Amino acid sequence: MTISLTVPDVLVARARTGDLEALEALYRAFETPVYNLARRILRTPEDAEDVLQETFLEVVKSIKHYRGEGHLWGWIRRIAASKALMRIRREQVRATEEFEESATRGRPTAHVGTNIDLERALQQLHETSRAVVWLHDVEGYTHEEIAELMGKTVSFSKSQLARAHARLRRTLEPGLEGA
Amino acid sequence: MHCTMDDLVAVRDGEGSAQVRRHLEDCAACRAELDALYQRVAQLKALPALRPPRDRWEAVRAEVVAAQRRRRSVWGTLSLAAAAALAGLIVFGPWSGGNTLHAELSQAKQRCSKLESALQQYDADARVVSGRSAALAAQLEDQIAAVDGRLSQLSPRGGRRTPEAELVDLWTQRATLMQQLYQVRVTRVSYVGL
Repeated sequence: MTISLTVPDVLVARARTGDLEALEALYRAFETPVYNLARRILRTPEDAEDVLQETFLEVVKSIKHYRGEGHLWGWIRRIAASKALMRIRREQVRATEEFEESATRGRPTAHVGTNIDLERALQQLHETSRAVVWLHDVEGYTHEEIAELMGKTVSFSKSQLARAHARLRRTLEPGLEGA
Repeated sequence: MHCTMDDLVAVRDGEGSAQVRRHLEDCAACRAELDALYQRVAQLKALPALRPPRDRWEAVRAEVVAAQRRRRSVWGTLSLAAAAALAGLIVFGPWSGGNTLHAELSQAKQRCSKLESALQQYDADARVVSGRSAALAAQLEDQIAAVDGRLSQLSPRGGRRTPEAELVDLWTQRATLMQQLYQVRVTRVSYVGL
């Protein structure tokens, strides 16, 4: 999904003052891309909704410090990505990656079915892999940016991306031999 | 030996080794895998945007309004604290011969008091202002709050001698900022030299 939202400077200036109408206009302009980003990364709609709310509270709090460098969507997107990744890290405290991977590996391919679409294949990825593939291949983040957001190395981001694609390929085309 | 997914992703991102690139030239199967990778990414980008199932704006708005109320309350408290600090300094001020400073201080305080009264009569929420004016007003309010914070930390007690010049300077700054805020708020002048 490509986002090319342009927001008038006057709207941003009013939002900086705490003008509720301007803040709502910003919310309406960006609620879908923020939710979409969070939903593509996170497991449940409820988590994505929470990230949407947390993101805009942060936007309201920090918009005074936004000086117009770069696109506003880029600034908001970074906040949203950071909130979503923070949520993944919290989840990982409760359930380790090894457990999650074994749980998804255990699902028989037959249950997935031959008509599985990309959305379902994406949902079956581990959250970290899903976050990396979405941020890199769809949102256009570099491995360096992803590594910084995740608090990991560039190599980690690269390996997660390859891992995500290998799994997507296996899920979407189970009859083919793995690359 | 065929390319791994790491190899293919690296080639797609312009980072593949010469050896892998040579292999791709000769291997139709690996080229097909690379094409599939490109197609998969194109499909990912083409997925429809997912929309939030519920409207979360009211929850965001409620928190924003609560935070604004808290901010106004702190601003008012700081103003009172600054006034109290001034009163204490006037009564217990460590200077005895500083009539000029005392006069300047009183003058700045009177200016602030008049401007505060004028601003209190002005209903900010009922006016429509330009984005630039609104941004300037917020900036000035922040600067006044910062000056109030510094004033509230000054005290004639504690054994430390309060630098009179600093006190006069702060109150003069406060009066100037309030004058600018008045200009922006009431006369809607968007240029105040900031």
